[in-house]
Amino acid sequence: MPLDTSTYGLALLRVDGRRWNELRRIHGQIRTQAAADGSSYLEMGHTKVMCVVTGPSEPGPRRGGAAGGASGGAGSGGQSKDAEVVVNIVIAGFSSVDRKRRGRGDKRTLEMQFTLSNTLAATLHTHLFPHSQINISLHVLSQDGSLLAALINAATLACVDAGIPMTDYVTACTAGSTSTYAANDEGADPLLDLNHQEEQELPGLTVATLGESDKVVALVCESRVQISRLEGMLAVGVDGCKQVREILDQVIKAQGRKMILEGTVDKGTGLNDMDLD
Amino acid sequence: MASSTNVHLSPAELSYLHTSLSLNPPIRPDGRSPTQYRPLSAETGILPGTNGSARICFADGTEAIVGVKAEVEKTRRRWDDDTIFGENQNQEEGEEQDEGEEQGSSDWVELTVEIPGYRDDDSGTVFLGQMLCEALLADGGFVRRLRINRRFHWKLYLDILLISPPLSYPLPLLSLTTHLALLATRLPKLKSEGDEDPFFDDDWAAAPYLYARNPTTKRVTERPPVTLLVMAVGGNVIFDPSKEELAVADVVLAVSVGDDASSREGGMDVDGRSNNSGRNLKLLSIRTVDPPSRLTPPGVANAANSAYGHAQVVSTGANQKMPEARQTESEAVEGVWKPPRGGAKAVVMGALVQKVLVRGGVADEVLDALEGVDTS
Repeated sequence: MPLDTSTYGLALLRVDGRRWNELRRIHGQIRTQAAADGSSYLEMGHTKVMCVVTGPSEPGPRRGGAAGGASGGAGSGGQSKDAEVVVNIVIAGFSSVDRKRRGRGDKRTLEMQFTLSNTLAATLHTHLFPHSQINISLHVLSQDGSLLAALINAATLACVDAGIPMTDYVTACTAGSTSTYAANDEGADPLLDLNHQEEQELPGLTVATLGESDKVVALVCESRVQISRLEGMLAVGVDGCKQVREILDQVIKAQGRKMILEGTVDKGTGLNDMDLD
Repeated sequence: MASSTNVHLSPAELSYLHTSLSLNPPIRPDGRSPTQYRPLSAETGILPGTNGSARICFADGTEAIVGVKAEVEKTRRRWDDDTIFGENQNQEEGEEQDEGEEQGSSDWVELTVEIPGYRDDDSGTVFLGQMLCEALLADGGFVRRLRINRRFHWKLYLDILLISPPLSYPLPLLSLTTHLALLATRLPKLKSEGDEDPFFDDDWAAAPYLYARNPTTKRVTERPPVTLLVMAVGGNVIFDPSKEELAVADVVLAVSVGDDASSREGGMDVDGRSNNSGRNLKLLSIRTVDPPSRLTPPGVANAANSAYGHAQVVSTGANQKMPEARQTESEAVEGVWKPPRGGAKAVVMGALVQKVLVRGGVADEVLDALEGVDTS
């Protein structure tokens, strides 16, 4: 479906009515699944993702790469000094507008698994769990752009829920640029958080940063983009990641507050001055 | 099946479990009665991008999501169907169409099961999918609903996702979720008539349900099938077994039952609720599921094993030489569980099916409970 991007110049509004620097609605939940060690549910606009974390646990019998995950830590089947991060992404057939069945060997899915497991292996303190495995399975229920970003954010939430020590939040966001051709260089605005339509039409990248810092832990760009615009896109993306971090932080704090009020966990010593309302 | 039900229990623990389950009444590890299901929470219509969707969480934390998508597909003409379009049109209005037209084909439904950590071509996953699909296709009534006209039909894609790790055999969970998703499924309202290319109303609010509601009571008149997992230990019949219970099962059956609405059409509208007890259950399919015990080869004592240098065991002299070896193989030791050998007794199988189908029994109860879920 070709998207008429020419209207952007008139009112500076995007197809879904957002300004260039606005995120879509992000709604997150953690501890959605009682049976898992950690779990989360994340909506970024109409992109809906569920994440379930099992582990760190003893690695099960290897089924000839059946788990489909790329190994995060170096090593062969749990004999390494670091925990292995195995990511498994299931894209439901009903997630897109037209039903499309993706098999296990789908290259795009494999690449996202690889990116995700590398990103998380760098951020999780895997050295604390030698000879073990952290299984992260992600279910895509509905997709409308920024899929990889949503997956990274959901995995972060679930890892926090599972209580796996990590350096900081890994938050991700997409950024794009309004025009695809070189002539219109001055008029091109960077865009934050692309939806599916924009993703089809415009150059875009996914960037993940660590916590509040500007440290980029993952950067994926699959489209052609003018090198002069890359900097702007990256700046907008990193800025978006900080906004996402705030939102994820709120989600986790809200859950923590709830658990303390319910008496699920004891109030820690340092928490006495925390405002519980 | 085998891979999803790895329980690490010692023979003594298994024996304890087996004994307590074969008591009368049986004592289940989680304190349920033999016919009691695990409590569950359910919701439908969770994904606006699908034609119908449902999510069920069992109390033990297992969770599944089912999404249904429909596409219009051209019906392939059957080779023996020599009628010409247009010729038949007039008589179609008035009288009942000939039987061939009414029938659907089983490839109008595509069902996939996704279990995290397992390949989609894993034998267990394929078997699960087949069992669920079989129940739907068993009486041909389901595919008949998908017919649009003589040239077109709906192709229904059912995608079943198990979200949680497979803690117990997920068949009952997946079946109940599929049931609810199908109940919540709506297809766009047809505006075209006859055998024209189909043209639909774009008002989603006008879209009718795949399983029609009664206009006055707003209740579903006919329901999709459910598949129940039943197992027997000794003479006891146990429903919705957990993983540990399955490990000591003698027989495990997956029984699919449907609600046979055709036989009670008359009384249905008149006395809504009270009619439920009069539900006519229809047996659609039965599958035996291999419990883990059946997949464990019984051990052979070293003394009887030719690999240990006792090749002459087969000869006639062996029986006199090692009578104790023969004994250890057949004799049951108190407190040590041995996998059952041999097939299930016909009486037990009969009792299993009987227990499911009996009026006011478990299948009735499950269907009643599912009726309580708001699917509109």
